[in-house]
This record gives sequence, structure tokens and C-alpha cells, in this order.
Amino acid sequence: MTARAQSFWARFLLPGGLWLFLLFAIPLALVLALSFGFTDDLGRAVYAFELDNYADAFDPLYLPVLLRSVGFALATVVLCLAIGYPVAYYIARYGGSKKHILIALLVIPFFVNYLVRTYAWVALLADEGLVNSALGSLNISETGLQLINTPYAVIGGLVYGYLVFMILPIYASLERMDPALIEAGKDLFGRPFQTFIHVTLPQTKQGILAGCVLVFLPAVGDFVSAQLLGGPDTYMVGNLIQDQFFTANNWPFGSALTVVMMIFLSFWMVGYLRSAAREARDPVAA
Amino acid sequence: MAFDRPRFLRVYSFLVYAFLFIPIIVVVLFSFNSEKSLQVFDGFSLRWYEEFFRDDTLRESLFVSLEIALITMVVATLLGTALAIGLVRARTRWSPAANVLMLIPLVTPEIVAGISALIIFSQLGIQLSFWTIVIAHITFSISYVTIVVRGRLTAMGDEVEQAAMDLGATRFGAVRLVLFPGLWPAIVAAGLLVFALSFDDFVISFFTTGEDVQPLPVRIWSAIRFGVSPTINAIGTLMMVVSITAVVAAVLIPRFFGRKESGIKVLTGQEGG
Repeated sequence: MTARAQSFWARFLLPGGLWLFLLFAIPLALVLALSFGFTDDLGRAVYAFELDNYADAFDPLYLPVLLRSVGFALATVVLCLAIGYPVAYYIARYGGSKKHILIALLVIPFFVNYLVRTYAWVALLADEGLVNSALGSLNISETGLQLINTPYAVIGGLVYGYLVFMILPIYASLERMDPALIEAGKDLFGRPFQTFIHVTLPQTKQGILAGCVLVFLPAVGDFVSAQLLGGPDTYMVGNLIQDQFFTANNWPFGSALTVVMMIFLSFWMVGYLRSAAREARDPVAA
Repeated sequence: MAFDRPRFLRVYSFLVYAFLFIPIIVVVLFSFNSEKSLQVFDGFSLRWYEEFFRDDTLRESLFVSLEIALITMVVATLLGTALAIGLVRARTRWSPAANVLMLIPLVTPEIVAGISALIIFSQLGIQLSFWTIVIAHITFSISYVTIVVRGRLTAMGDEVEQAAMDLGATRFGAVRLVLFPGLWPAIVAAGLLVFALSFDDFVISFFTTGEDVQPLPVRIWSAIRFGVSPTINAIGTLMMVVSITAVVAAVLIPRFFGRKESGIKVLTGQEGG
């Protein structure tokens, strides 16, 4: 391409690139900077270079919250994979002419406001909620089950919230796969299970990894599910961060918690971005 | 294995779809309940909708949410489309950095985007208001537009543009007469997607909302914490209608441009590749 063409196209990069640089990259850097600061006696955040906030983040008081967030998010990933893979497989292989409708039906719930969806689960799982009244009227459980304010409810809320992020990339990778491979696998291995393990699963590795990352990232930072479906015992790091900014008014500590979370997530993010970059370069092979 | 048996998979998938839809059906159904109960459906009534529209602050919040989503849609679509064109066509030494900068917002948890916006606004001494929400929404929306438009752009190639220029079109003319008409379905789809995302967004709004105007999801958040109330069912149903209309339009509109492919493929950037 000529140099003139180059400078013509380069201009298109500028507005969006500058916007993201000034309003996304710089603010992220400020979070990092503020995490080394402290709160003065008047409650104002002051920039400094101290590591106290990081020491606090790994304090026995807060460490369990960090670990719990990771644990809940991992459980969410595993459940989403177990629930989502067969659905993606069914749509890709047996969806036929209804494929697009089936995908649309998966996406629609995702566009119902996340708060409203979580709130629906509150209404369902509450002590006097629909599930318990159904169990009561079926004489399964007279006293009712403790469903809300449990870790299960929080993880269930996360699974419900992010399941579609698992199904779509797996579906996309199944769609890209040549169906002849499965036939060949059947000829080679005989049993469907072995075909699945040796052919389908490796072929859809990209989609599985993408799905796991896309579920894990928002799940770790989520505070809505833990707030509405859980209690103080199920607090996640998102709740802790939110508290620092709204109630405790300790922005530097909130920033440090955010940085710790981001460092942990960055391994996943970099892995995902690399595979996305590969895909952008070479969409057919990915 | 049961895995490859269509009947097992069909039942399994059906159960998953039920899991996805039951809570939503409950919300919609009980929004029409004539009683306050969330357990027993007594009869059909619109009282919770009446209550919603009689409440001035709630009605105002609905309009604020719509305004934010509209402005976000317009600005983010412009910025994101230009960025997509720049990323695909320009090969500058800034391109790789711009590409990473565009991808990072997509993998950053919303809470991080929310607090970094809050920190920059307070750092610059900007009072949180309607416009801080709009700016924060535009920031997270640009990348979605870029991804969708870039998918279409890569699929299109630049042969027709080159041909137009060989026939005497200026470079700008080729963009206007060839590139934009070809990109239009993706641009419209991306815009509507962003409208729905902005309209539904809670977390980023939560961190950038001032005292004066609060978008609907922020209001819902405070309402839920006071307990379950049937009005929330009505709000939830109304919001659902707005965002699903936007998404369905995003899927259907590319078809009106005379394209056989589904809008879903345009949205997920799968077409062509």
C-alpha cells in the first residue's frame, strides 16, 4: 500500500483509539497508582508509595474472600461447561433448520436485565418463595429448605448469568468442525464415546477455552449475585471492592483489591487475547 | 455414550432451556398479578404497570436510561466503526497497540471499568451526572461495535473499493460509495446491540451515577434491597421488551438490506470466515 493510503486509513484509528486511551487505559493506570496510596484523616484518597493496602488484601480477614471468589468462579466455569457443552453440541449437530431459533432462544434471556434475572431467582428461592411453596404443597418438605443465602444460590446465580458465554463459543467451534471428522472417527474408533474424546473434544478445544475465560472473568468480579442471593458468608471480592468505594470510603484499598484481582485474571485475559489475535489473523484455521 | 444420542441431548437441552426461561416467565407472569403475592397468581391486572407510570421518579429513570442508551449508541457506533476500519486497513506501528487497547475492555470485569471511571472523574473534579454515565457507557461499548464491524469488513475484502478507484473514484468516494453501503448492516446491528447493552447496564452506571438522575437499573438495585416487590416485575418486563426489541431488530435488520445470511452471523462476526 502506498504511504498516502496508509495515512488515509491511519486517521480512522485516531478518534476511537484516543478515546479508549484517555478514558480506559489512563483510568486503569490510575487505579494502579491509587492502590499504593492511603486515605488521610479527612477520608480523602492520597497518592503515595506504600504497600500497606496489599498487605491488607492478603490479611486473614480478607484472604478468604479472595479465595472464595476464585472458588465460586471456578465452580461456575465447571458447571457452565457441564451444562453448556451438551446444549451446544445438540444445536450444532442436531439443530438442523431450527439452529438459529435455538441460538436466539439462548441469547434472549441474556438480554433480560441481569438484576431482574437475579431478582427472579430471589423470588423463586426465598424462604417463602415459589420453590419452597411448591415443595410444601407437594409434601416434600414441610418446613421448607434453606435455599437463599447459601453458596449454592450464589453459584447458581452466576451460572444462570453467564451460561450463554460458554455455549456460544463452543457452538461456534463445533460449527467450524468438519462433520466428516466425526464419521471418520466412528470408522476409526467405533464407539461414539471414543470418537468424542479423540476427535470432537480436541477439535473444540479453542471454543472450550474461550468459553471458560468468558465465564470466569465476569464471575470473579461479580457482586450482584452474592449480594442478592447470598449473605455475609458468601461475600465475594466484588462486594468487598464495592464496599470500599461506597461505604468504607477507602478507595486506595479498593484499588489494591482490584489490582490483585486483575493480576490474577491477567493470565486468563492474556491467554484469551492471544487466541483472539490468532483468530483475527487467520479466521479459517482458528 | 449418551452424549451422541439425539434423544438424550434433546431432553437435556430442553431442561437447560427451561432453567433459562422459568425465572423470566415468573417475572413476566407476576407482573400481571392482581395481588401483591409472589407465590399465588390471583388474576390478571395492570396495577403494577399503573403504579410504575404513576411514579414520577421511576418514569423519569426510564427516560434517562433510554436517553443514555441512544447517545451511547450513536457515539460508540461512530467511534467503533472508524476504529474497525482503521484496524483492518491501516498498517501503522500503532495498530497492534490499538488492537490490544480495543480488546482489553471486552475481557475486563465490569466492576473494574466502573471504578476506573469513578476514579478518573473524581480526579478531574467532574461531578457525577448524566454525562459521566454516558461517557463510561461509550467507553465500554466501542469495542463491541469494532468487533462486529471488523468481522464484516474482513469478510468484504477491499477488491470492490480498488475497482471503484481504478474507475476514477477518489479514496473518500470509494469509502462513501462502496465501503459504507457494504458495512451498513453490521453498523446497524452493532448499534442496536450497544443500545441494548447500555440500556441494561447496571454495574458501570452504578459507579458513575450522581445524585440527580439515576438510570432504571440503579433504581431497581435500591428497590430490590428493600425487598421483593411486584412493581419490580413490571419494570423488569418493560425493560425486557425494550432490550429484546433492540436485539431482535439487530438480527432482523440486516435481512432488510437484502441479505440472506442471518443477522446472528453478522453480530457474532462469523460470516464469510
